[in-house]
Parts: sequence; structure tokens; C-alpha cells
Amino acid sequence: MLDLYNSTFIIPDLLLLLFPFIVIGSRLFCTAQSKVPWRIANFGFVAIFIVLNFIPLASGEGRFFISNWRIDDFGVLMREVFLISAILGIWFAKDYFEHGADGKPQMHQIAEFIGAIAFATFGGVTVVSACDMLTFFLGLEIATIPMYALTAWNKKDQLGSEAATKYILMGSVATAFELFGFSYLYGFAGSLHFGDIQQAVAAGTSPLLWVAVLFLFCGIGFKLTLFPFYTWAPDVYEGAPTPVTAVLSVTSKATAIAFLVVLVFGPFAPIQEQIAPFIALLAGTTLFVGNLGALKQSRLRRFMAYSSIAQAGYIMVALLGPATTAKTAIVYYLFVYAVSNYLAFFIFGIIGHHREETFASLRGLSKQNPSLAIALAISMFSLAGIPPLAGFFGKFHLFFSGASTGHYMLVAFAVLNNVLALFYYIQLIKSAWVEDYDGHLSPLRLTRRQRGVIVALSIAVVALGFIPFLSNNIFAGFSF
Amino acid sequence: MDTILFNLIWVIPLFTVLACIPIPESHAKLLRGIHTVSASVVLAIVCYLTFRVYAMGSVSASEAAAPLLLRFFTDIPWLSMIGAHYIVGADGLNILLLALTAFIVWAGVLVSYNIKGNQKVFFALIQILATSVYGVYMSFDLVLFFVFYEMEALCMYLMIACYGSGRRDYGGKKLTLTLAFGSSMILATLFGLYFEGGVNSWSITELSKITLPMEFQMWAFPLMFMGFAVSSSLFPFHFWSPDGHSSAPTAVSMLAAGVMMKMGAYGCLRVAMFLMPEAAKIWLPYVVALLIFNVVLGPFIALRHKDLKYITAYSSISHLGLIFLGLAALTPIGLRGASLQMISHGFLTGLFFATIGMIYERTHTRDITQMGGIMRKMPFLGVGFVLAGFAGLGLPGFSGFIAESTIFIGAFQQDSTLTRIVTTLAILSITTTAVYILQTANRMLHGPLPQKYESLSDGCFREKLVIVVLVACLLFIGICPSWISDMLDWSIAPIFEKISAATQPVVSGIGG
Repeated sequence: MLDLYNSTFIIPDLLLLLFPFIVIGSRLFCTAQSKVPWRIANFGFVAIFIVLNFIPLASGEGRFFISNWRIDDFGVLMREVFLISAILGIWFAKDYFEHGADGKPQMHQIAEFIGAIAFATFGGVTVVSACDMLTFFLGLEIATIPMYALTAWNKKDQLGSEAATKYILMGSVATAFELFGFSYLYGFAGSLHFGDIQQAVAAGTSPLLWVAVLFLFCGIGFKLTLFPFYTWAPDVYEGAPTPVTAVLSVTSKATAIAFLVVLVFGPFAPIQEQIAPFIALLAGTTLFVGNLGALKQSRLRRFMAYSSIAQAGYIMVALLGPATTAKTAIVYYLFVYAVSNYLAFFIFGIIGHHREETFASLRGLSKQNPSLAIALAISMFSLAGIPPLAGFFGKFHLFFSGASTGHYMLVAFAVLNNVLALFYYIQLIKSAWVEDYDGHLSPLRLTRRQRGVIVALSIAVVALGFIPFLSNNIFAGFSF
Repeated sequence: MDTILFNLIWVIPLFTVLACIPIPESHAKLLRGIHTVSASVVLAIVCYLTFRVYAMGSVSASEAAAPLLLRFFTDIPWLSMIGAHYIVGADGLNILLLALTAFIVWAGVLVSYNIKGNQKVFFALIQILATSVYGVYMSFDLVLFFVFYEMEALCMYLMIACYGSGRRDYGGKKLTLTLAFGSSMILATLFGLYFEGGVNSWSITELSKITLPMEFQMWAFPLMFMGFAVSSSLFPFHFWSPDGHSSAPTAVSMLAAGVMMKMGAYGCLRVAMFLMPEAAKIWLPYVVALLIFNVVLGPFIALRHKDLKYITAYSSISHLGLIFLGLAALTPIGLRGASLQMISHGFLTGLFFATIGMIYERTHTRDITQMGGIMRKMPFLGVGFVLAGFAGLGLPGFSGFIAESTIFIGAFQQDSTLTRIVTTLAILSITTTAVYILQTANRMLHGPLPQKYESLSDGCFREKLVIVVLVACLLFIGICPSWISDMLDWSIAPIFEKISAATQPVVSGIGG
């Protein structure tokens, strides 16, 4: 099974597994203030990203470990999403280890922090590679448990501890639901392997299966912040340190979405049509609730929490399409979403370093720092899905996938909801562009790294939109 | 060569924006110069291409039958997965609308020299807005069309909210969100067009070759028509336009009323009616009933208003109502009148908003009760305003007369009582239009001059140039309309052909 050619496929995964140990281990040989772990982390993530791009995928897929570990096109692209998120996440986090922000103290132990993010990334990779339920479950937990720790990273911060407690409790309930669902699925199919489950599901359904489906969706609903399981998200997003919120909103969301994609187009593929109304209901309610919730917010991170709840709803719309269309649309959207979201978070981070993280702190930004205001407008309009920015094309693909199986009503509902979303994204832009500068706000200073990242991400958000470089590569170069 | 020039139309504005990025904000004069040159170059290109199309069109007008006769056609694969292509081309209607846009953008840049605030961003936004409008009129692929169509929302809000006056945030939000609401309806139906059409293409020419399923057309046409009608401020979706226009800076008002409101009417004609002619035949007679509000109530509301921009906004609402009357008539003359009105109204409303902006810059008020006698101080601007008014009330010799009379003739040919009643009312409402325009001009320009306006000056060379050029366009269309209507005729022919060939069991009793 393990021939030399195919075994190259697994190199990035093994590197990624080793990587957190190297970063944390490096702490043994250097001082607390040393920059070595940070440099290793940067080098490591970027190197793995590059190695990942050399995987010769035209040949299909690789299977490892008694065919429980699969590397296919979807998996590779998702790995790239996870790695981009990790790289941007640690770059973003770096500033928070140098000084405090938004009234919270400076963070410590950067090596362990990076290690935790690397573990969460590996968890995501495990989820997309899994071919049996045990691996699948392990992946989900590896992705989630570091996030609990990260949420409480600021030990002196009351809100952070509260958020972490809430997150752990909710997460455990979700895990319980998952396990229950998995056990029923095992009871139904008599096997842990996805292939066998798919055969069993294709052969015929039973109430046992529906219970399993229901519980699995409930479990993942918690993690993906679907309605009605989303209530923890605003508090956790608000309470966690800002870089953790950023990672949470991208890596954790991508993991949860990948989980659903693997499940719906893997073991549940034969009953996709039957669960479509259920998915449509979850998608519609989630995006509506997320949009409604965002309308009233005045704190930036709470606002981003609701915005990301709504984004989860939009992504769910794509799950209704045929496998290839849906997977491509979702992967493309995740790239776009990661870039737009991190751009927004980098800007909020700069605000947070000098001011409170509220809408009011954005006042007069266009006069004080026009480039930052332009970047903010770009990220917000992209998240709102206004062409020609990347967000529009991302959403277009999601809706395209949903509409291709005739779910016009849901698509129309989602598109109309976009107007609601535009309203609150405009609120934010209004704070930055229309309201006048008020003398009490402290001035903003950008470091070279922040400036570079913001320029690069802004260009990416604009260029990914109408230059079909990324989308055509994803859609044409890979076979799903 | 011409094809490359044609594609440059939307590229040049974008390129100008990129070129201006390294120039610091303090070099306002240089920035203005660059943008003026860029707008002039585009204007020159479009004028040249318009004459090229006219020359080619007159040779082959006879062959302009069922398929669209597109010049400068470009078709490049773009987004492979969804099958979107970069398809642009021009027929008589498009190229004239492009010419209109180029004129208005050029005039808009010229009148914005004194804008307050960050000029670098302002001019960049104008150019992006221009790109989006050019793109809409050029594209023959629905995805491309929609991208350009919705791009405007992004710039409009920023321009109104940052550089506008009065309740600028409110006005900007109202405008942007209403337009976004309209485009969301269009987007939802576009997916339907693609999947129900079954040709796996977003190309307007490809889609026009097939007949879409009737059940789909019956719900999709009204949705899409409404979506486009929002941007053309058809009743009851007109509420954004007075607030939006009145709070926008001059150049944005000119572009919004002069060109962007036409995008809706153009979309109705080119996308909704062309691709779903069967449903258009069934639904459009009902639309006529809505037009009573636009055509008849619009002028009456304008009569009551004191704010110059509100007056112009309501007059635009009534003029756009006439465009829809021409479209709903579903006769070749009606369609020709509607497209003539699109172009004529673009120029006249551009002139209106330009002169209002210039007067406002001097008097700092738009309330006509506060003005009076300013003709003595600003004869040139005053005459410009009066000429725009004359064109608006349809004085023979100006473009408005030709367009409106064509619409009325076309609408009367429609064999439906409702349409005829509305047409009669519309003809009568011209009197109201004349009343409010003359009343406004009289109050503003004549009578005693208030003390505070003693020191006002007339327009400078730049402003006079804008007025002269726009008036010249209005007169040119008004005095020799034949070459424009020729160009319009052969581009409307295929659309009308398709509508008249649409054989559907028309429900009896509809439309009289």
C-alpha cells in the first residue's frame, strides 16, 4: 500500500504533527523573551505550506494507515486554508505578546501559544483526512481542545476565564452529542469506516440512522455556531484574547465546515437529498439570526461574532449542491473568508492596541489614517459580498451551488439577507468614514509588519475577486 | 484596433486610479489634471467609436434582424467553474449610452474641482463609479453585468456619506440599501436564468436564442423587472432617489440621475424583456398602472418642493416614468422613444444638477425661496438652468421633445385602454412640468436680488464649458435626431422581433 510515490503525500501532515513539539521544545534552549520560537514557527508554517503545494495531486488521492487517512484534492486545499489561517493568526498574535490591548494585559508564553495553534491546525487536517469515525472524532477534538486553552490564555482576565468556561461547557455538550451520534451510526452500520457506512446508508435507512444524523448535526451545530446552538459564540468571541478570536473565527469554523462536508458528501452522500430540507432550514435560520444579531452591536468583536454566525449560514447554502460544485464553492469561500476576516481583525487589532474595541473608536479614521480606512472599507464590503471584491465571488459560488439543485427560495432568502448584512457592515464603515474625529481618541501607530500584512491582504481581497487566478486553479486544476 | 479601444473604455478609469495612488494628497492640482485628462481621453474614444458604429450600422442596417448585431465583440473565458465569460460588445443603444456616460463623467470631473475634503479619494471613487457604469453598458455576460451593476453601491455610499451635504449618511444609506435590495432580486433570478435556461451560459446572446420555461418566466420576470425598476425609481420603489440625490455631491447627483438610473431601464430592456419576452407581454400591461404615480404625481410633488435638488429628483422620477411607459407600450416606436428618452434625460438632468451645483457653490442654499434675482449676477449659469428646464418640459428643438413625443406616439399605438389613459394623463402632466420649471426659474432667477448675493460671480471658463457642451448635446439631439434614432432602431429591432414573435396564450382581458 505504501509505495514511495504515494508516501510523499503524507510528508506535510507528519511535519505538521512534529512541528508543535519543535516549537515548544525550543523553549528549553532559550529565554522567555527570545525570538527563536517565533522564527521557527514562521519558517515551519511557511515551509509546510510550500511543501503542500508540491503534492502531485493530479493522480487522485493517497490513502494511509489501513486506508483510514486519505489525502485528496479537497483535503489539500483545506490544509492550505488551515495553514494560511495559522500563519496569519500567529502574525496577528505577535503584537499581543509585545503589549496589551483593549485594557487587557500583555500575553506571555508565545511558544506554547503557537504550539496550541499548530495543534488546532493539525486537528483540522485530521478532520479532512479522516476515513473512519474514530479518526474523525479525534480530529475534531484535537482541533477544539487547544482552542479552550487559548481562550483562557490571559489568566488574569476575568472575562477570558468566563468565556473559556462557557466554551468548554458548551463544547463538551457538543462532544457528547457527537459521540452519541457516532455510536448510533456504528450501531446502524456495524462499522467505523466511512466506506462501509456509506454502503449501509445506501442500502436503506432506519430510525437509528435518523437519530444519528440528528445528533451529529446538533453536535456540529454547536461548533459551527448554527441556529439555535450559536449562543455561546458572541460571549466567547468577546471574552477571548483578540488573536484567539481571529483564529477561532477562521480555523475553528473551517474545521467545523470541513467536518460537515466530509460527512454529507461521504457517509451521508446517499441520503443527501433527504437531509437537504434540514440543511436548508439550518442555513436559512442561521444566516437570518446572525444578521439580525449583528444589527445591534457596538463592540467590534461581538459584531464579528454575529457576522461569522451569518457567514456559517451562507456556507451551509452550498452544502445543498452536488458534491463537486459544493466542495469547490466551499473551499474557495473559505480562502476568501479567511483573507477578508483576517484583514478585518488586523485593523481591529490596531484599533484595540490604542483604544477600546468599539465602533466609537473608529471615528474619524478616514481623516486620521485614510489607508487604514480604505482597508476597512475593503474588508467590510468583501464580507458583505459587494463586487468586485473577493467576498462577492465567494458568495456567488455558494449560491450557485445551492441554486444548481433548484433551491431558489433559499438562495433568494440568502441574497435578500445580504442587504440586511450590508446595512450593518455599512454602520461600521460609517463610523470610520462619516463621523468626525473626536479629540479623545489616542493616535494610531502601525508597525512595519502590520502595514505590510494589511496592504498584502487588501490587495488579495481585491485581486482574488475578479482575477480568476485562485478560483480557476481551484476549480479547474483539481478533481474533487 | 477598435475592439481594443472599446475594451479600454472601462480599463482607463481604473488605470487612472492606480496611477494616482503614489501621488500624495496635497498635490490636488496634479490629481485633478490627471483625472480630467483621463476622462477626456475616454470621452474622445467613445465619441470616435460611436461614429464608427454609426458608419458600420448604416451599411448593414438591413441585416439587423433577429440576432443582436454586436460590434467590437470580445469573448474570453473568465470564471471557469460557473461558466462566466468576459463578453463585451456594442450595438447602437449601448454605444450611445456609453457616450452619454462619458459626457457626464467628463462633466462630473470638471464640476468637482472645488470639492471639500480628500480630493484624491473623491476622484478615485468617481473613476471607479465610471468604470462600473461603463461596464454595465458594455457587458453581454450576466455575471459580468451584475458585477459592474452592483459595484456602484460600493462607491455611491462612500461618496455621498463623505462628500455630500445635509443628511448625507441617511441619504447614502437609503440609496445604497435600496439599490442593493433591487440587485439582490436580480441576482436571485439570474441563477434561475442560468439553470432553467439549460444552455450553461450567462451570455445574453446565447440565452436569447432559447425560450425559457413559462412557469419560471412568470415569477422571474416580475422579480427581475422590479429589481431593475428600483434603480430607475419606478413607483413604489422611488423613495430612495430624492433623499439620495439631494444629499449627494454634484458630480454624484449627475452620475446617479444622469446615468445610473438609466441602468435600470436599460437592464429591463436588455435583460428582462429580451430574455423573457413571453412574460413581458403578460406582465407589462399591469406595470402601466404603476406609472400613473411616476408620470402624474411626480410633477405635482415637484411643484410643492422648495429644495432645488428635490425638485430635480422628482422631475427625474416623472421622466423615468415616461421611459417605462415607452417600454411597456411594447411597440417599436415606444421602445425607440424609451431609449431616446434615456439618452435625452441623461444630458438634461446632468445639465440640471451641474447648474444647481454651481449655483449652490455660490449661494450656499438650494432653497428657492431664499434666492431671487441671481440672473443679474450669474447670467450664464441662469441661462444654463433655464435651457435645462426647457429641455425638461419638452420644448421643440431640444432632445426632450423628440423623446417624449416618440414615447407618446408609441404608447398610443398600443391597443389597450389603460395604456391610452395613462398616456393621455402623461401628456397632460407636461403642463404641470412646465409650471414647476417656469415657477422655479422665475423665483430663482428674477425678482429683487437679496443683499447677500451682491458679490456673487458668474461661472468660470471650466463651468461654462460644461454647460455649453451639455446644451450643445441637447440641441444636437433635438435638431437632428434621425441619426440617433437610426442607430437605436437597428439595435432595438432584434429585441422587438423577439417580443412580437413571443407566442403565448395571452390571458384574456389583461391590458384591456
